[in-house]
Amino acid sequence: MSNEIDFDELLGKYKSDPYDYIDVFSIHTGAVTFTINEGDEVDAASGEWRHIPGTTLYEINRERNPKPVSSKINGTISYLNRELDGSFVEAGEKLMTIRHPLKKKEIIEGILKKVLYLFPAPERAKYFFAMDIQSRIEKKGARSVSIAPGDEILTMSLMKRDTPIYYQGEPGVIHSVYFDPGVSVDQGSPLIGVCASDKVSMIQKIITRVKADWDTDH
Amino acid sequence: MVVSMPASDNLRLEAADIHSYIFDAELPRRRAGSWGDSAEKVLRYGSFVGSSLECHTRLGRAMEHARLHIDSEEKRGWSVQSGRVILAGTLTGSKGRFTRSWHAPEGGLWGCLLHGTTLTAPSTLLLSLALGVAACEAIRQMGVRDCAVRWVNDVLVKGEKVAGFLVESHTGPRWKEIFHLIGFGINVNNQVFPKELESWAASISQALGASVNLPDFTLDFIAKLAWNIGLLYYIEARYPDWWEDPSEHCHPVLARWRKLSDTLGQRVVFGYDVIEKPQFSARVAGVSSEGGLRLVLDDGREITEYSGEIRYI
Repeated sequence: MSNEIDFDELLGKYKSDPYDYIDVFSIHTGAVTFTINEGDEVDAASGEWRHIPGTTLYEINRERNPKPVSSKINGTISYLNRELDGSFVEAGEKLMTIRHPLKKKEIIEGILKKVLYLFPAPERAKYFFAMDIQSRIEKKGARSVSIAPGDEILTMSLMKRDTPIYYQGEPGVIHSVYFDPGVSVDQGSPLIGVCASDKVSMIQKIITRVKADWDTDH
Repeated sequence: MVVSMPASDNLRLEAADIHSYIFDAELPRRRAGSWGDSAEKVLRYGSFVGSSLECHTRLGRAMEHARLHIDSEEKRGWSVQSGRVILAGTLTGSKGRFTRSWHAPEGGLWGCLLHGTTLTAPSTLLLSLALGVAACEAIRQMGVRDCAVRWVNDVLVKGEKVAGFLVESHTGPRWKEIFHLIGFGINVNNQVFPKELESWAASISQALGASVNLPDFTLDFIAKLAWNIGLLYYIEARYPDWWEDPSEHCHPVLARWRKLSDTLGQRVVFGYDVIEKPQFSARVAGVSSEGGLRLVLDDGREITEYSGEIRYI
């Protein structure tokens, strides 16, 4: 967790370039065929369960097993490695970049992720708070719940097997919750954002400042 | 090897009985099937299951007892034996998932298996399926032919639940070894259920119309656990590259689960807690190589879920 945050610099950066740049890599080896062009707009996955795939970005074919790969985020194709079209690539090769326009909420989240300690998901699974933590959250709200390293904070549920997750990180209060109990979380994605108790007011100041400085939602 | 504890009236088993049953009764059956001589290797991998045994007349929760056992052994500087089975004639504080009640009176098979987590992550995904397969095989062995597994591992007879599992992980306080506490509850001879469970619970004796020899059933169930968990270890040892591309083969545990399950093709309601918070309805298209449930939603899209539960509709 950063102690010194230059809000002006951080907000200035978002003001001058309110986009996120997401690189897209080949998911495995195979022959790649692009289905979009540079400058194209692409859509993210949608639907209640994010089950409707986004715009197809490319198809990768390994051993006559073609697999379409779709965009997980909306935006514009800002870079396309056109030279790779139709050629064989290794897994993890950079294919393109999507320029994603940030919403106010995403900017706040982006800044918070820089200043909070983010506790990551150990495996792709569903998560819920440990009973004690849940009851404290229900009574007083997450931002009143203090946690310290070694505390049992979450239960990871995978194939009807429940595993307690012990917190490892800086002590503090649960400021942000990034998961929904019914939805799977990818390995490495943040589950909670933790803030030292004495820095809660600073975090609140950031949010207020962004809300005031950012007059539109887009 | 044998730990003697106060035995309940209907469970006077010892670990040696389990070992004998695995190799004298289960092995010939498996050998006679498609596994041939490999059956012995599989059972040797699985024979840690039931290698120590505690029988109690009554416990609060078997899983809580297992947790305390691990903690006390480690605090004494000892290591905990993987495969220990804890049985109780009745449980006074048993519970199902979330806040659901689980009725565990005399006549049922209630207990917990301690499993040191030495499986790799992908094999561990199939552990839950292996448990349902073991219970279903044991119940069928008793003559209940129409019992089937509902994803993940509930065992039903004509739509009524006969057996269920809860798996929780627990880390030892001293050596930090991680154990799966595999809680099991099987309605064997118990015939009376509380009102809230009456419409969806049944017992083996109800299905058969006759009582079951509980110790015999217990031995058979533990032997089936030994076989199915043994398969997970056997495949890892025999085929170290198995999980590099699991779509290329069908794991024998998964193949067996598919044969014993009536989930495939069913229209279901899905939810993380399906009773309190049902999320959506879908048709089951299949089960992935890692045991995930492939669901086709009403708009034709397919998703795979690795966590949650279903009810048939």
